[in-house]
Amino acid sequence: MTEATPEATSTAGTDTRPIGVLIAAMGGEGGGVLRQWLVDAAMAHGFAVQSTSIPGVAQRTGATTYYVEIQPTKDGGEQARPVMSLYPLAGSVDIMVASELIESARAMQNGFVTPNCTTLIASTHRVYAVAERTAMGDGRFDGERVVKAAENLAQQSILFDMEAMAKEHGSVINSVLLGAIAGTNRLPIPPEGFEAAIRDTGRAVEANLNAFRAGFAAVERGDPAALIPDSDLKRPWRPDPPMVEQLQYRVREEFPGPARAILREGVNRLFEYQNKGYAELYLQRLTRIDRAERDAGGHGDLVREAGRYLSLWMSYEDVIRVAQAKLRPERQARVRAEVGAKPGEPVRIREYLKPGLDEATALLPGWMARPILAAADKAGLRDRLNIGMTITSTALWGHFLLRLLSSLRPLRPMGHRYHSEQLLIDQWIGNIATAASLDLGLAAEVAACQRLLKGYGQTQRHGWDSFSGIMATLATPALQGDMSPAAAGQAIALARDAALADPEGAALQSVLETEKTSDLAAE
Amino acid sequence: MERSFAKEVKQLRLGQGETFHGEGILAVTKALLQSGVSYVGGYQGAPISHLMDVLVDAEELLSELGVHLETSTSEAAAAAMLGASINYPLRGAVTWKSTVGTNVASDALSNLSSAGVRGGALIVLGEDYGEGSSILQERTHAFATKSQIWLLDPRPDLETIVHMVEHGFALSEHSNTPVMLELRIRACHVHGSFNTSDNKTGRFNKNRVIEEPDHDFSRITLPPSTYAQEKHKIDVRMPEAIRYIRDNQLNDHFDGDIEDVGIICQGGLYNAALRALVQAGLADAGGNSRIPILALNVTYPLVPDEISNFCAGKSAVFMVEEGQPDYLEEAVNVILRKADLQTKVIGKGPLPMAGEYTAEVVLRGLSEFLNQTKPTGVDLAAATSPIRDLDQYKAKAAELLGDLLPARPPTFCTGCPERPLFSAIRILEKELGPTHVSCDIGCHTFSTLPPFNLGNTVLGYGLGLSSAAGVAPSFGKRVISIMGDGGFWHNGVTNGIGSALFNKADGVLMVIKNGYTSATGWQFVPSTERPREGRSTGSSIEKVIKSMGARWLRNVPNYRVGSVMKTLRQALTGKGKGLRVIVADSECQLARQRRIRPEIAARLQNGQRDVRTRFGIDDEICTGDRACIRLSGCPSLSIKANPDPLRDDPVTTVLDSCVGCGLCGEVSHAAVLCPSFYKVDIVRNPNLWDRINDGLHRRLLGDAAKAPI
Repeated sequence: MTEATPEATSTAGTDTRPIGVLIAAMGGEGGGVLRQWLVDAAMAHGFAVQSTSIPGVAQRTGATTYYVEIQPTKDGGEQARPVMSLYPLAGSVDIMVASELIESARAMQNGFVTPNCTTLIASTHRVYAVAERTAMGDGRFDGERVVKAAENLAQQSILFDMEAMAKEHGSVINSVLLGAIAGTNRLPIPPEGFEAAIRDTGRAVEANLNAFRAGFAAVERGDPAALIPDSDLKRPWRPDPPMVEQLQYRVREEFPGPARAILREGVNRLFEYQNKGYAELYLQRLTRIDRAERDAGGHGDLVREAGRYLSLWMSYEDVIRVAQAKLRPERQARVRAEVGAKPGEPVRIREYLKPGLDEATALLPGWMARPILAAADKAGLRDRLNIGMTITSTALWGHFLLRLLSSLRPLRPMGHRYHSEQLLIDQWIGNIATAASLDLGLAAEVAACQRLLKGYGQTQRHGWDSFSGIMATLATPALQGDMSPAAAGQAIALARDAALADPEGAALQSVLETEKTSDLAAE
Repeated sequence: MERSFAKEVKQLRLGQGETFHGEGILAVTKALLQSGVSYVGGYQGAPISHLMDVLVDAEELLSELGVHLETSTSEAAAAAMLGASINYPLRGAVTWKSTVGTNVASDALSNLSSAGVRGGALIVLGEDYGEGSSILQERTHAFATKSQIWLLDPRPDLETIVHMVEHGFALSEHSNTPVMLELRIRACHVHGSFNTSDNKTGRFNKNRVIEEPDHDFSRITLPPSTYAQEKHKIDVRMPEAIRYIRDNQLNDHFDGDIEDVGIICQGGLYNAALRALVQAGLADAGGNSRIPILALNVTYPLVPDEISNFCAGKSAVFMVEEGQPDYLEEAVNVILRKADLQTKVIGKGPLPMAGEYTAEVVLRGLSEFLNQTKPTGVDLAAATSPIRDLDQYKAKAAELLGDLLPARPPTFCTGCPERPLFSAIRILEKELGPTHVSCDIGCHTFSTLPPFNLGNTVLGYGLGLSSAAGVAPSFGKRVISIMGDGGFWHNGVTNGIGSALFNKADGVLMVIKNGYTSATGWQFVPSTERPREGRSTGSSIEKVIKSMGARWLRNVPNYRVGSVMKTLRQALTGKGKGLRVIVADSECQLARQRRIRPEIAARLQNGQRDVRTRFGIDDEICTGDRACIRLSGCPSLSIKANPDPLRDDPVTTVLDSCVGCGLCGEVSHAAVLCPSFYKVDIVRNPNLWDRINDGLHRRLLGDAAKAPI
């Protein structure tokens, strides 16, 4: 947070223009309450005040704003009451309040945050917009950008996670925001004035007051703009299970430094997923990549990334793994924490499962599974034949049903899915290795295509189509020397983003089409 | 509705010399009582809903004053009430959202304005225009001029608004003409204060009834009366109105030292214009402008000599008129032409023809006007610098923020019972292919927004089914029409269902019944099952539809996506022609939460058992394909950083705001999504059996029990 310049705080008192406070909020947050607190506090101290809002459909979780004007000079009869604006005017917004990070960015985009007068008060937490939530890959807007913009555009910017602070005190974000506003001293109202306003509303008074004081103190302390990077939210690496020492030894001895942490996790994960032999297969596959990379003069970045994606692919999702995950001893504690169950409050967990033909046949040998699936496809039943069940994993029979499923683990390698997956994996590993001999960049892109293989049932098959489409149209030609490796690498990266852009794969199709045509043109 | 306005009602009782603090629309409500109205009617809608809502809670005060309140089922019904003022000296006011509501009301309005009124008739219009608007962008002005109804557009401070309401009634009676009071969204919701006076009772009202009916054929809209009425409008009512406006100085004239230019603005835009002047250094915040201003609190009719006197001696005037066509600019030009004045009228051009006039837009226009006219005594560089700076700041922001910010359109609330219906349609599309969906007005219009993007047309309130009548016969598949219970009672029952059955239409109608007109603030409808103040008849939508002769009628439980799909599949693919009506019946979740939260809190207080349900997602199993979000869009279904050290793409998560409606689970089943969803029942204040049962299971279930509790 940048410090308030002395003029900044003093002008508030002398400027004849009313002080403009613009509040950017989201419908349903009760931003009207914050507006009301400001109005009540100003009125109680005899300042002329006006506020307005634009309810309507925007209330329904959409972005909305509230605008308040307060005349900092005492109201001495009618003449002193200024003509107040119903609109915030960029260049004369003294306090810009945003209840969420992107809403503060929106305010900056609209010019409401200006170096000549604006103190920006914004919570750094994110409430993701529909577009961000529906993106198949990572559609999140880069928060760091917003913070940077704030520090450049605001005269003073106060950014911290006010949502978290509110939760801490069992209150709502409005209380913390009000505290932060009071903390800036931009309004001619003492903190007690705001506290009185909170008391007058008479709802959740104590919690709100605590949150208010916390917000006030945070400004006085001058908390830094805190955006928590994803890396801080990762779960700790799995501890080594017994019987993998020798494999971990290989990781340390045979593989380059940059790759070791990931490979270690991979080994542990696959040991748990299947068995030691499976984890060994993992390292064996990576040895091939490692050799190819060394020959190409790489330093372990490729084997690290390949190791990451390989462990994800080798631990592909099937009923057994799902059952395993649902039975983890630490899971119930995690669930309790997530839903905020207090100690002593019993919880009942019901799992929504709908195993279908794919899952059922996964464990059958190929000679049985293939005809069944073929018949189902023919009859268009592939996605219709499935049983919806809600299994109460906290009850006896539900728990033991999951137990039963997870105990099928030894049978997995006999199933046809296992075989087909291993074949595809070896193909893919082969491609990465060959690509490495041509261009490490290309190899990395081929490896990263595993990202496309996500989901279950239809979605999963869809991801597979994208994957194989890219391999056939871009990777293979490059590997056969019909296409420059570097160009292919870039093309694959583009195609991957396109594949993640829309679930129906329209974007990817167009990308691949253009590639095909350009190839023809080249020939 | 579920909200109480007791606090606001107190303000309506304020008397002489007291001060009212509150919203603009409530100030209007108080002004109506100070004007001695005998009846008030209206139809809810942003931004005037509160006028009705508060009066509904003011039953006692209204009966003391003998005021009748009619919560009309449509704007047409409300407008027709004003008929009372044609024959009798009854003051009355009606209100609705314009322009859509005015469209619905215009039949009655035309007849009313032709017949003319004896008692003051005021139409309070919430001009839902610009930012935050939920409707098409048009002007009420056109209605005023075509029917010769006077139009007030007061300066947006409570004093002036109240003043204009009171003058409105007098003007109406003085000129035998109904009067419209137009208030923009921000003016309706502006929070300010004014000095009140005592409430008045009308000469006749519920407590002092009329004894003699008045028959006067000259007030019936039939030829030849209609010809006489039109002449009377022009020869008598208009001149009388103009005289009243002039004599009582309803328009505000503010002087200034700069002589060669002036500003003419709609009263409602005065504050925006003044703020622009302050920013340009041409006025102080107290309202003293260096450029003279004529603020038109009455925008129809204009007072010709008032305009020409203001413009005389000025080289140009800046015309600040919001919306299009530019009726006022044209009118002012005609007046000046007739007065043979050469003053330039500069408005549209520097100001945009379309769109809301925010303070910034007006400042931009003003700067351009000054550049064009270069008035003596104005430091151009200084006056136009604010807008230049602003453009720089915006450019800087765009550069720093880079890519477009994700938009945040409104959507169905968490746990909304309407969401599952559109999830069902979306999932069914995979199987039957997409068809034409004819939407209606209401919360359900959000189906047209992401992530559903469902719906091809929106033609008006209650018109979902009617607007399918043209396309259905020429469409390859059976089309789906949507209608809310609000729209049903507003006119959908006649315009939609009546017409469809009468014309043997073939199609599917989904009536979404949630017990309120939720989009306008949870007002009750005739079929609301939780009557309050006897304001609900409990009329049954199903019975009405049956009695009209619909043969295919089904009820579906909204949250059971599977069975909604089943019924919808039958309706869409069933043999034989005819209208298939599906009534989806489930209470508005927002209203429900508002009702049950306090009840639950109380239960927990007294240590009673309560089960809270919430959904969750196993982030270890979720692969982040987002299929679930695309099929639901629930605000509580969001994403978070991936806790798996090997994965980077975020995973899906359920937020605390989840109300446990169960949709995510239903969707994951109906659409065969991933197995990562789980439902949790948390037993609060568990009883003995809960504890024993829980302890027993945790002991038996081995390792799961090791989890700390």
